[in-house]
Amino acid sequence: MLEPLLGSKGSEKVLIFIVARDEGYAREISQFFDMDISTAQNQLDKLELGGILVSHTKGRTRIYTFNPRYPFLKELTQLLIKALSFYPENEREKLVMNRRRPRRRGKVL
Amino acid sequence: MKSINKMTQAEIAAYVQSHLREKGITVVLSGGACVSIYTANKYISADIDLIDVYSVARNKIKTAMEEIGFNEKNRYFVHPDTKHIVEFPPGPLSVGEESVTQIKEIKLATGILSVISPTDCVKDRLAAYYFWNDQQSLAQALLVAKHNRINLTDIKKWSQASGNIKGFGIFLKKCSSKKKSRLR
Repeated sequence: MLEPLLGSKGSEKVLIFIVARDEGYAREISQFFDMDISTAQNQLDKLELGGILVSHTKGRTRIYTFNPRYPFLKELTQLLIKALSFYPENEREKLVMNRRRPRRRGKVL
Repeated sequence: MKSINKMTQAEIAAYVQSHLREKGITVVLSGGACVSIYTANKYISADIDLIDVYSVARNKIKTAMEEIGFNEKNRYFVHPDTKHIVEFPPGPLSVGEESVTQIKEIKLATGILSVISPTDCVKDRLAAYYFWNDQQSLAQALLVAKHNRINLTDIKKWSQASGNIKGFGIFLKKCSSKKKSRLR
């Protein structure tokens, strides 16, 4: 959808994932979109170098979020949110409706 | 001309900037190095962040840096005769959503240093405090405010526009308690 603008499908997927979930890491993004993990990581690296994303580590995982200091962040997220609204409903729901509330360790469902 | 191992951080920045300027590459000093300069090294940063204002091709920067002995290593540029590392964060030159228009030029023995103003330096540090609650950045903003004439009215307006008036209130309270800043 935004590929002509962003230069690659990988870039679009990474940004769409992060706008939907506020954060993401290479493995979960690659698993969600069934893409190669190195492709996801390369896109994350590229976007971080460009100042669009920032990252921090939690345990052994490097987590990426939007860089709040990126001067075009408001406009970019508006564009991505609009693009997300054009995604197939099931994919959009899977992206947005993930469980975020805590779950106690060992709890039987 | 001084040898690199005898240059201060600001002198290295001016030296690099002057060389790049000759090659048609415009960069402006931002980040922690500005805090060092504006606080007479009360805060020390080894980084020299030169914002690439017009997004020049990386290879052009790399070639120009190699001409003065800096080699690229993990996206940074290092020189064997100094501990300071040079980085070129992507432009545009901004503090949060606001573009930086006022550039200060300081004439040094090694060249002309183009640097963001003390007011923008405070905004730059406050941005990190506002967004990530980074207390080190708040301390640096306070240090710059203490040692320089800054435009608090402008910083207030900028904070308000980015929805961080509460954070500005905390900064102002700590600023006033130091009683050294001068409100314009």
